[in-house]
Formats: sequence, C-alpha cells, structure tokens
Amino acid sequence: MKKIKPLVLIVDDNSTNIDLLVNTLKNDYRLGVAKNGQKALDYTEKRLPDLILLDIMMPGMNGYEVCGRLKTATRTKDIPVIFITAMTETAHKTRAFEAGALDYITKPFHTAEVKARVRTHLSLKKAREHEIYIASKIQKTLLLGKPPRDINGIQIAQLTIPSQKVDGDFIDFFKLDNQCFDLVVGDVMGKGVPAALLGAAIKSHFLRVLNELIRLTDRKEFPDPEKIISAVHSSMIDQLEDIETFVTLCYARFDMAKHLLSFVDCGHMRTIHFHADSNRCSLLRGVNMPLGFPEQEPFKQTLVPFKPGDLFVFYSDGLTEAKNQDGVLYGEKRLVDFVQKNAIIEPKELINTVRKDVVAFSQSDIFDDDLTCVLVGIEKKSALSDKAELKIKNNLTELAEVRSFVRKFCESIPDIHLNNNRINLIELAATEVTANIIKHAYDGHSDEQIWINALLSDDKIVFRFYDWGKEFELKSVPSPVFDGSLSGGFGLHIISHTVDEVTYSRDEKGRNCACLKIKL
Amino acid sequence: MKLSTEKIGDVTVVTVLTEVLDASNTEEFKVAAAPILEGTTKVVFEISQIKFMDSSGCGVLLSHLRQLKSSNGNLKLCRVQEPVRTLFELVRIDRIIEIFDTKEEAVKSF
Repeated sequence: MKKIKPLVLIVDDNSTNIDLLVNTLKNDYRLGVAKNGQKALDYTEKRLPDLILLDIMMPGMNGYEVCGRLKTATRTKDIPVIFITAMTETAHKTRAFEAGALDYITKPFHTAEVKARVRTHLSLKKAREHEIYIASKIQKTLLLGKPPRDINGIQIAQLTIPSQKVDGDFIDFFKLDNQCFDLVVGDVMGKGVPAALLGAAIKSHFLRVLNELIRLTDRKEFPDPEKIISAVHSSMIDQLEDIETFVTLCYARFDMAKHLLSFVDCGHMRTIHFHADSNRCSLLRGVNMPLGFPEQEPFKQTLVPFKPGDLFVFYSDGLTEAKNQDGVLYGEKRLVDFVQKNAIIEPKELINTVRKDVVAFSQSDIFDDDLTCVLVGIEKKSALSDKAELKIKNNLTELAEVRSFVRKFCESIPDIHLNNNRINLIELAATEVTANIIKHAYDGHSDEQIWINALLSDDKIVFRFYDWGKEFELKSVPSPVFDGSLSGGFGLHIISHTVDEVTYSRDEKGRNCACLKIKL
Repeated sequence: MKLSTEKIGDVTVVTVLTEVLDASNTEEFKVAAAPILEGTTKVVFEISQIKFMDSSGCGVLLSHLRQLKSSNGNLKLCRVQEPVRTLFELVRIDRIIEIFDTKEEAVKSF
C-alpha cells in the first residue's frame, strides 16, 4: 500500500512566502494553504493537518490567537504548530511558546532548516501517536474487565470512551458466586503508557490478593473489601512511591443474598445510589485516602443496603469533567439529575442515554480524559410468575434429569434466595415423587410419560407432577417403620418432611397430580 | 457400579464410587455389593463420594445391615456428606447404623 504523505498547512498572508514554503515542502508532503487566521481555522474544521506552519503578523486574527484557538479545541489541540515570522525578539518568541507553539523559525529562513524542523516535529508527533496507540491497546485489552453475566437479579452495563491520551482508568469484576460479585473502578494519576501499565499492574494485584485471601479464609466467607484493599495497598505502596503517583478507586461488593453493598472508597468520584422507593439519589463517599499515600489509616468499608429497583452509578472524573465549548464542566449535579430522571430505564439502554447526554453537552465525541461509567441495576421483583416445564419418560434413569430441572429452576429465581440445603431437600422430594410414579403408577411400563410443571408466584414455588397411570390412594400406604426392619416405606415420609405442603389429586380425565409447595 | 474394597484386620472397608445412589442404581449397587458381603461380617461403607441419596439408597443400606446382623456381623458408615446425613436423620437411619467421621474410627469401633 502506498504510504499517505503527511498533510502540512501553511498559514501566511504573503504570496512570496507561501510560494517559497510550497516549493520547499511539496515533494515530501501534501500541502494546504490558508491566507489568514480565520481561513486556517475553517480549514481545520474540514481537514486535520499533521502540522501547521503559522505566520504571526497577519491582518485580522494574528498567529498567537489562531494558535490559542487551535490549542483549546480537543480536536486540534495536538497538532504541532511552528511559527514562521520576521519578528526575532525574545519576547515574541516567548509569547509564541506560551500560545502553544512547539517551535519557531525566523525569516529569512533556509529551506534546509524548514525541512529539518518539519521532519523532526512530524516524527515526534508520530512517536507520541504510537505511544497513545500502545496505551489505548493496553487499556482495551488489560484495563477493562468484562462484567459477569449470570449474577441472579442484577444487571450491569458499562461505558468507556478512551481519550486521545489514555489516562489509566480501569475496571474489573470478580465473580465470587451466583449471588455475589466485586467491582473495582479506578483511576491512575498520570497519562499514557505509564498510567496504563500501572492500571494493569493494580488489576493483577487485586486478582492475586483475592486469590490468596480466599485460600486463607473459610470458604463460606469471602474476605472483606477493606482487607482486600489493605493487602493491595501494602503490596503496592513501595512501587507507587517509587514512581511518585497515586490511584483513586472504589472497590464495591454486591451481595444479592443480603441485599447489601459493602464498599471501600479511596478518594474516587462519589458513587450515585438511586433509591427506587423514594425516587431520590444519594451520594456514597468513603473515608479513605487514595492508594499511594504513605500515612494510611486502616482502610474502612461502608455498608449500604439496597432494594429491588435501586441503581448504582460508578464513574471516572472523565465523565463529570467533560467540558463544553465554553469550558463549563458536565458536573456531578448534572449527572445526578440525569440519573434520577432516567433511572427507570434498563441499565443497558440507560448507559447509551448517558453517553448521548454527555456528547450533546460537550458537542463532541472526543474527550480530554478517558470516560468510564459502570451501572449496576438491582432488578425489580417480577410481578409476573415464572414457569418451566419438563417432560420425561417413565424410566428411573430420568431421575437425574428431574433433579437438575428442579435445581435450575430454584437457582434461576431472581431476588429470592433459596439456600443450597433447601434446594437439596426439594431435589430429594422431587426424586421421591418421580420414583413413586415410575415404580407404582405405570406398573413398570416404560413407554409412558410424566409431566412436571414448575410455577413461581410471589410467595411460593409449586411443582406439579402429572401422570396418567393408576390412581394413588394415600390411605393405602402403611406408615413408615423406623426400626430398620423394613427397607421401604420412607418415600412419603421424606416428601412430607422436605416441602411445606404436598397434595395428591386425580382429575376427571384420569390424570394424577402430585403437588409440592415450597413457601418463600 | 464401582466398589473398591480394602481389608483392615478383619474389617472390610468398601468405598462406594458413585455420586448418586437413588432408585435408578440401587439394584446395581446391591448386585455389586453382594459378593463382597458374602463370607464377611464386619463391613464399613465409605460413602464420601455420594452427593445425593434417596429412600431407595437408604433401603439398600438397611437390607445390607440386616443381612450382616443375621450372621452376627455389623455395618457401619463413614465420611457421610451433609445432604446424605440430612436424609439419614429424616428417616432415622442415624439411630440404627453407626456413622463415623473417618474410616479409622469406623474400623476401630468393631
């Protein structure tokens, strides 16, 4: 592929100067010409030059002003500007650099010097762009974790708009079990490759610390967030001090079983907590200093209970410090108001409306800082009942299938926590019911079928087992004997002692139904 | 079904290598265990692998117990997982068959 030559914009009101510069550069670069300051700005609206050669003394807008304007717009602020002018006094040169110029060439100039300086600044620009490319690669692959999908009763959505200068925003998720996950959002002070690498290092420290602590503690209890942060801090403080930086972050644990958020905030942006019942937002602020501050009190976590329909918004300063063209910040208040007004929308859609709002506000989709935002929505208790169905053959080999159906249904119910012991008992009852039907109702005919329905309502789960076999008479079954003298007769006893209610019935079509109710 | 046996003194320790003992495989278990129980009186079932058992599983354990007792022997269990222990308590097998935490304790108890 033919390499596209860099585009250089020449801004000068003097035709002789323009001709001279064009002749000097035309073989090596694509060239654009603007004869005054306004035309130069108009030009950059349409095309983005790789470098600008700018005259200072021009009618209308002078070179300083043009340069200043270029440097305040996100789109053009990284274009290298070289002033070319007859003014040789130090005060002029200083002013040019203050306006944001990278270099200064005085007239009359030597063509060789112009060529050399343009070449040098273009290669420096290329090197900077390459660094940004690497940093954004690191960011995309190492700094942004993927949210867990299968946490019951929770919806997570995230938004990241990398800036031209990567500044080390990072996000990660650690799933602890089906009811519980940890989220860490953080921001490394600094930009580019160093910040991105440090962000990646911190993420791996979290993983290591989490692993070690989980191994050391009782399996049933996960290590507290404050313990995790303390361990990460003490393992990183020397490195952070060495490179003289610090990290703000928020480490949050969502426990769906307890409906509890426990978080450690280390100088990060205040997390927004939308309360569904009062339709209001509160701001969560922790008490800890950023990581990397040597004199650190013990890290403390804060507990926040949540309810169905609540929403949490985690974000980096890139979001609230996004500027509009007058330099006004998007701001925390605007974000809070926006969340309060739109919290009813599902997180996956809401995150897009957040993006649209901040883009509309700043009238640009390019930002100075990385912009990250994570939404964690607690699902509303569904008013609709959930149901499931299983059809099996009248064969004892299907018992495992019945158990897996029952377990899956019990585990899939959002917002309702059935502990494992309870599910074990429900599995046992379902096995007994099914085995009874197979053994007794159909007299061993294996080509018959059994239907199982599961139905969830607000306060209970009901499993119904249907068969078309012999009628079952509860009275005909003898009471169980517990002295070890008989091998059978325990089935009904087990069923009635493992679920809250059991009924047996037969409809007019000759269909038997065993019905198990489990109260929630 | 796989059963692995080990003789410790005059006690036969049978490790039951299945995760499920329910109506679908109790017959298989009975057939596999029969030759092992033939000609021995002191037996320990090590059932740590069993995660799920139903009333049929209980039934087959009780029938093995009766068989051994009829020849003046006994059956003991060890390393019972929590869901299985819950079942045993429900049908009161824990009062009829002695249950131990370790194989060594079960063997020593004869």
